[in-house]
Amino acid sequence: MTEILRLENINYSYIDGGYERQILKDLSFSFEAGKFYTILGPSGSGKTTLLSLVAGLDSAKSGKIYFKGKDIDEIGLHKFRRNAISIVFQQFNLISYLTAVENVLLAMSETDNEIPKDRKNVAYNLLERFGIVRSKADRMVNQLSGGEQQRVAIARSLASNVDLIFADEPTGNLDTATEKEIISIFKELAHDFGKTIIVVTHSDTVSAMSDQRVLLKDGKLTQIK
Amino acid sequence: MNFINRAIKNVSRRMSKTVLLVLTFFLIGNLVIIGLGVSKASESAKILTRQKMRAVVTYGLDYNKIWQYADTIEDEDELQEFYNNYPRIRLEEVAAFLEDERVKTANTVNINMWYSDSQNTLDFVHLGNRAEEDLDSSNGQSCWYDDVTNEQMCETYKNPFFLIKSNMFPDMIEFEDGEYRIVSGRFYTQQEIDNGSLVCLISENLAALNGVSVGDSIVLAVNYLASYMEQFGVTEEDLENRFEVIGIFSHDQPITPDAPNFDYCYPYENPDNMIFMPSTTIYMAQLPMQQKQFDYYAEMYGDDADMNEYYGNPDNRPSESNMASQMYINDVTLLLSDPMDVDDFVKDYQSSLSQFASLSANNEEFNRLAKPLDTLSMYANFIVWLVIINAIVIITLVTALTLKTREYEIGVLLSIGASKLKVIGQFFIELAIVAILGFTLSVISGSLIAKRIGNTVLEYQIASSEVSEEDDYYYYNNGFDPWNTDYTTDISLEDLVAEYEVKISPMIIGEIYILGLGIVLISVIIPSFMIMRYNPKKILMNQN
Repeated sequence: MTEILRLENINYSYIDGGYERQILKDLSFSFEAGKFYTILGPSGSGKTTLLSLVAGLDSAKSGKIYFKGKDIDEIGLHKFRRNAISIVFQQFNLISYLTAVENVLLAMSETDNEIPKDRKNVAYNLLERFGIVRSKADRMVNQLSGGEQQRVAIARSLASNVDLIFADEPTGNLDTATEKEIISIFKELAHDFGKTIIVVTHSDTVSAMSDQRVLLKDGKLTQIK
Repeated sequence: MNFINRAIKNVSRRMSKTVLLVLTFFLIGNLVIIGLGVSKASESAKILTRQKMRAVVTYGLDYNKIWQYADTIEDEDELQEFYNNYPRIRLEEVAAFLEDERVKTANTVNINMWYSDSQNTLDFVHLGNRAEEDLDSSNGQSCWYDDVTNEQMCETYKNPFFLIKSNMFPDMIEFEDGEYRIVSGRFYTQQEIDNGSLVCLISENLAALNGVSVGDSIVLAVNYLASYMEQFGVTEEDLENRFEVIGIFSHDQPITPDAPNFDYCYPYENPDNMIFMPSTTIYMAQLPMQQKQFDYYAEMYGDDADMNEYYGNPDNRPSESNMASQMYINDVTLLLSDPMDVDDFVKDYQSSLSQFASLSANNEEFNRLAKPLDTLSMYANFIVWLVIINAIVIITLVTALTLKTREYEIGVLLSIGASKLKVIGQFFIELAIVAILGFTLSVISGSLIAKRIGNTVLEYQIASSEVSEEDDYYYYNNGFDPWNTDYTTDISLEDLVAEYEVKISPMIIGEIYILGLGIVLISVIIPSFMIMRYNPKKILMNQN
């Protein structure tokens, strides 16, 4: 398998109540393309922090992150976010005054990646693939159910044609049946579309269905066999 | 789905928020329009009035300064020396002003009253009911003390026929302004001025009455031969000169029998009897008379040490060669091309003036009368600034509160790779749309309100101010004052107020929109910066 993302000696800390709190300590890890990863760990272990670092939303105090062998700081975090990654949030974070299809189109308009010309149809098809039919695609997102909104969020993450998709507790607000459906979609994305999926979760159901489970403990990542 | 589309969708789909913001901008717009409308009306009333005023600047001696300076001289000889070299305006100084491209011409007017025994005058016999005998009977007495016997001598005074208006430059304000127009011939030239040539311009009515055309000559007398003149040995030949008519003019100040005071006017008070010629011509025409008077006094005061200092010196005797040094310029009026240049012109030259010279824009009266408008403009501007500052604070607060609720949106947009500039651009367009809507509505209502408020406030301002009109002084027939060499335009408060009209011009509308967009820009940038100074993770965490 090809390495897509590599973390080298990542350190991250913040000041809390006058004391420096070390979250990640000399963390090094490598993610391969086309795999579905879940990151597990106790609350406060730094899962979300790790996700925000690999997604280019925050910067480490020290250490390097390489995307396809290139330092993401050299690529530029803004460009990296625009062309290399997508994030699915627990709260879906859709733009409330846009329809489902418009939310998907939004991601297409911000990337430099190659997007088919007939964007609107692509967006409809993408939504339809995740079970959002056309009539629902034209609805404002707050008129959709939680599961439907998360599907829209996943569709949006795919719309920009990126290699890395991160998800932070993507099923935290969903029932079990929907949770399973969403995980199946992630698996499909990894295996059929060659995307690398990295999901931060507490859910055993989700982690059980992933290709690789990774434990974040004491600021380090270890693979769970 | 670019940021412009997103902005439009946000505005159109969040209607209640949009309506509230439109209403806010509508209220702000009304206040700004009222303030700007009133302020601009005041300014434009001043400008329009100023433009109607003659663009004149006066140059002369500041006698207060001269006297004050003389008071500081304690040594008598030094004081005498100062008086012997009394400050005077030199022709070269005036000519230097004419080099300035803003200056059209300069008047250094001298007025004389002359006679003619050979020519008919266009007197009131032709226009009204005043006969020659009537004029004679109103002449009165002219008295003087004989220099030898010291006895009082009196004889019948003879009214002059002609008013001679002269200048040191080959053009005059009267002709530049179109008040007088050359209908035939030409104005006198610099060469004629330099030579003191006996040339003149007469009115077309005077020319017609006398059957005179350009190229003909007329005989004028600088005085009439009275006993007073005869004592100097002056003869009629010394007083009379033949002048070539080089130009015939028309004017727009006709004297008609229905004019007030018509019955009491003398011929020289009729603008038809006005004759223009160079100042040097007057000097030359008076030369024989002046020389005989000088010679008479030189002989008489031969033993008087004080008087002899002047009359004993042949260099002081009037002569053609002494003409330049013996001609005095009292006041100069410079006519500028543009009334709006007057203040700047005075400012430009003020620092380079000689010690006792003064240059004045003559705008004291204008500034005094414009005071209510200035006060109104000041208050209006104050309101505008107050509204702008308040608007920035209010809109910034509203935007900050709105953006706070949209923090997650900013975080999401940044996390999917949208640039900060595009995010700010979206918020700017959103607010700009509502601002334009609000301001457009306020242009309609604001212009109506501004007119009403502007007029009411001006009326109150005039009533409460202490501006009073100067009393009108006595004018001759139809406002023609033959002695008047004041070329400044008389204005009244009514003139100023007549130009005051609150109207919302395209320029004000443009200013409103620019101002509005400026407020929007500031209101968007400040809260956006407050949020976007953090990285996307922090923004998203804040939202959580």
